[in-house]
Amino acid sequence: MGSIIGVLKNILCRMLQLLSFGKKTITNSLSVYVKISGGRTVAVDLDPTWDIKNVKEVVAPRLGLEPNEVKIIFAGKELGDKIKISECDLGQQSILHAVKVRGRLRTTLPPPSTSLIEDIDEQASKPLSETLNDTMFSNEDSSKSSSNIDDGSTNSGEGTNRTNVHFYVFCPTCKALKTGKLRVRCHFCKSGAFTVHSDPQSWNDVLEPKQITGLCENGSELCADILNNKEPTFAEFYFKCSEHTSLGEQDQAVPLYLIRPNLRDVPCLACTDVSDPVVVFPCTEGHVTCLDCFRQYCITRLTERQFWQHPEYGYTLACPAGCPDSFIKEIHHFRLLNDTQYAQYQRFGTEEFVLRSGGVLCPQPGCGMGILIDEGCVKVACINGCGYVFCRLCLQGYHVGECRSADTEIGANAEACSYNVDPAKASEARWDEASKVAIKVLTKPCPMCRTPTERDGGCMHMVCTRAGCNFHWCWVCQTPWTRECMGNHWFG
Amino acid sequence: MAALPRRIIKETQRLMQEPVPGISAVPDDSNARYFHVIVTGPEDSPFEGGLFKLELFLPEDYPMSAPKVRFITKIYHPNIDRLGRICLDILKDKWSPALQIRTVLLSIQALLSAPNPDDPLANDVAELWKVNESEAIRNAREWTRRYAMDN
Repeated sequence: MGSIIGVLKNILCRMLQLLSFGKKTITNSLSVYVKISGGRTVAVDLDPTWDIKNVKEVVAPRLGLEPNEVKIIFAGKELGDKIKISECDLGQQSILHAVKVRGRLRTTLPPPSTSLIEDIDEQASKPLSETLNDTMFSNEDSSKSSSNIDDGSTNSGEGTNRTNVHFYVFCPTCKALKTGKLRVRCHFCKSGAFTVHSDPQSWNDVLEPKQITGLCENGSELCADILNNKEPTFAEFYFKCSEHTSLGEQDQAVPLYLIRPNLRDVPCLACTDVSDPVVVFPCTEGHVTCLDCFRQYCITRLTERQFWQHPEYGYTLACPAGCPDSFIKEIHHFRLLNDTQYAQYQRFGTEEFVLRSGGVLCPQPGCGMGILIDEGCVKVACINGCGYVFCRLCLQGYHVGECRSADTEIGANAEACSYNVDPAKASEARWDEASKVAIKVLTKPCPMCRTPTERDGGCMHMVCTRAGCNFHWCWVCQTPWTRECMGNHWFG
Repeated sequence: MAALPRRIIKETQRLMQEPVPGISAVPDDSNARYFHVIVTGPEDSPFEGGLFKLELFLPEDYPMSAPKVRFITKIYHPNIDRLGRICLDILKDKWSPALQIRTVLLSIQALLSAPNPDDPLANDVAELWKVNESEAIRNAREWTRRYAMDN
């Protein structure tokens, strides 16, 4: 009995679906926006099983045009009539661009670009997500990747069998590592009504500005006209998080381009497991670690304070295998750390930057405000911080004349009090005294950067552990390490 | 104690299944991060014929930090001090997580074949090795015979 009802139910559902398709109202709908030249945006519900021809039929009346007078542009490509919505990498609230076909304008354009556009119309009218393939982004070698592209365009049927490019981004909305979607807009006017002349072939094409040319179709203010052919109209690539509903054109995500799908099953350098995705370091060998080992590497180097303050890239790390010129350029990769670790990363990075720039950190306990000061200045006030005024040289409260040692300072302060306190007792009763004493007794400052350094065994040959200093010095002489030190008191 | 990372398990398995010639490394029964190591003195070196005991410990954040290795058997070598500490760059600033227990022990074995008196850890030994190499080698042979051969 139950099965008969089930069958009937099924048939009824199918009939309803047929009916609803006929009326172009959809049950399993995708709500997108269509941006029309002139800046107007209309909300449209699409069925993922529709093709682009159906979309044109829905959109054209809103523009007062015939369906064949409209072209639909998305992610740098004019989409062909036969393309299914589900193939287009569209998400909820994605923005499509609809522009009027400019038959006459096309003939006025220079011949090479005309032929390219026609190419796009005839064959390359698949969405960008379908025509890109992983191999070209996993290989930085431009000569190899261009041959890959040739393969892709000649055997376009094969292209669909390949896995689509998976980009990884740090999404500021989700606050996490997410898969990303590549999007295109006009470099000049930022309009998304833009078609590329060719697909990007490497990360360089995507990340560096002005690599790929295209045609801006942003209505009357055609960028090509404004630029007056002084330079071609360039594409600008950006990324969106593919895991949350689009929050409009401003909703972007940072590409974490060192994180890639592990198409070649490369084992992690540290744990030797094969996982996916992986971090591929920017060294010539392209050393690979899994995400967990990357985090572990970052945490270890961070707690040892061995990140490097790179003048261009910021506070960063190089390949763990010690390869030359392998610093991570995009420091958003360190967003893979958790919030506490990332906060520590930011604090250490800022402190390193302040110290590198000749600044000081406010010595007041719990403050640590970074203060940039002029070279000759000795009196430092912690403005915008705790307000402490201190001497740059001894990091004690500001004073006139020579810096005093901590002991005499206590005596002087005690004398200023109206009642008598035993200076010795007072010095023991100070909150931070224990750590101050410990630092004074156990450490010596690095002769180069003054970082208090503890010697916990071994020889007298010290190497400053502060990243960027690495000064070799002698624990006994507190001067640079020499062969004389080695001969006289290497082991004390 | 936290579970043993897969990397350590894999390295241990490989060390047992395909041991490096002249090197044996066996994890301690009670601590899988502590290895009892025996390195045979390389041929054509003053350490030939000796069996040198070492201890190797994998710290908590291995392989991000280098293993800690020390000679237990007394050895007369310019890069190894009297406490058995080894002066080897890959155990310090040149450590990389791409290196393994296997590579570390091979490097130590190579250090026995080719002492480097210009980057010494044992002062007096290094000095003699530079001033009077033949006497230094004689001493090394004598120490090998005395400390690394009685079993």
